[in-house]
Amino acid sequence: MSAPAPFAVNAVEAQRIAFSYPSRAENGSGPLYEDFSLTVELGSRFVLMGPSGSGKTTLGRMMAGIMSPQAGQVRWSPQFSNRWDVVYVDQHAMNSVFPWLTVAANIKYPMKKLGWERAKRQERMCYLMSLFRIGALADAYPTSLSGGELQRVALARCLSWKPQLVILDEPFSALDRKVKAEIIAALEELAATDGMTLLLITHNVSDALALATRCVVIGRRPVQIISDLEFRATFPREAVTPDYDRMQQALIAGIRDGLV
Amino acid sequence: MGWFKRNSRPLLFLAVLVLIWAAITALHVVTPIVLPTPLSVVRAIPGMLHERLLADIGLTLGRVLGALVIACLFGIPLGLYLGHRKGVYQVIESPLHALRSVPASALFPLFLIVIGVGEKSIVALAAYPSLLVILANSVSGATLANKRRLYQARLLGLDTFDTITEVLFYEALPNIFDGIRTAVSYALMLVIAVEMFIGLSERGLGRGIYEYQSTYRIPETYAAIIVAGVIGILLNAVVSQLERRMLRWLPYVQEE
Repeated sequence: MSAPAPFAVNAVEAQRIAFSYPSRAENGSGPLYEDFSLTVELGSRFVLMGPSGSGKTTLGRMMAGIMSPQAGQVRWSPQFSNRWDVVYVDQHAMNSVFPWLTVAANIKYPMKKLGWERAKRQERMCYLMSLFRIGALADAYPTSLSGGELQRVALARCLSWKPQLVILDEPFSALDRKVKAEIIAALEELAATDGMTLLLITHNVSDALALATRCVVIGRRPVQIISDLEFRATFPREAVTPDYDRMQQALIAGIRDGLV
Repeated sequence: MGWFKRNSRPLLFLAVLVLIWAAITALHVVTPIVLPTPLSVVRAIPGMLHERLLADIGLTLGRVLGALVIACLFGIPLGLYLGHRKGVYQVIESPLHALRSVPASALFPLFLIVIGVGEKSIVALAAYPSLLVILANSVSGATLANKRRLYQARLLGLDTFDTITEVLFYEALPNIFDGIRTAVSYALMLVIAVEMFIGLSERGLGRGIYEYQSTYRIPETYAAIIVAGVIGILLNAVVSQLERRMLRWLPYVQEE
């Protein structure tokens, strides 16, 4: 028996979707999405790029099932049989945690609600806390944490129950480079271990290059795919290799295409 | 000593108020019948303690606490539910606002007819506006709850009960405490007012004030009023303490 092909099936497909905000001032420039299609392969590290206000978050929220397209449809892999197999991690980490629970309780809460045994919850929490280096914060409340600490806690919580598709909306926007690199490494390890599909939404080239096996740049209105690049899955990626340089040039050229 | 140091300014203000009061009486600006001296008010207290001041305080406090417990027990869950189910809230919103606009004192006669003269109607009358204000605050707290956080509740498949008790309750807690704070003063105000005018067999601080006044025991009247004020301050302090404990995860509470 041969191993299944890693990118054979799609995690999520947007099929000919349309969406426009009803009452926004910028509506003069036409609908946001019209007849737009995009597929995210199962097991990929998919990065969605685009300038601010280009509709990345809207697409991410539609793919997470939080918003519905006005035409067309979003379909998940049949492997995702539960609602919680797809999780959307909000841009603001505080929206993904319960501030009235301690860090440890926050991480355990979803597993408890999904009926995990106590011992398994504890084991998973300990693993996540050491992976994200937040062990010392177990009894702290989220409001007392720094931005980087809070982001790790939010990720540990949202990934605790092993969702299969994780949509991360600008999770690193408020973090410095070192913290970012640590979180990306943890995320990559976790995704590989648990077999998660990652969909990262960002406008930052180096964030995209740190993680992407595929990078789609969107822009214009209605939204179009400006460039669609595939990268080899080697991690961690060092910023000083010729390979990285090639990837960076390809991506920057792709983005420039959209601006011209 | 630490307590005195921390509260030195409010205590100083209190001392200034008492000094002004003493000065007014010492200069005979008003007759002692209208405003007795601070000293005579203090002197009246031992006698009152001999009579039944403590029993009166106990009765009044018991009624206030009873009213507040009832108000919280019904107001909080109902308010959170209505804030969660906005459809239901929209249906009953206008009657609710109508009820809130009717002063509780206007409902004295009605309560007396429906519930009868006695302990129950005193507590019910005080519970009524307290419940409404706690309910209204719980509704707005639940309505203002973080929508992005509620996504997680939906994602994890929380039912209505869990969503209310494990998410909305905490989201609304700062508003709920605002409501409780207002409710404390409503309850105290109404219990004392109702005690003043309801049948003679029921004692209480309000009844005490009324009787001292009607027998021209003016220092005692003032002392009883001051005691009522002190009860208000203490109840407020208890609520604040509870709030600080239950909201210790909020940033502004941590900074204190």
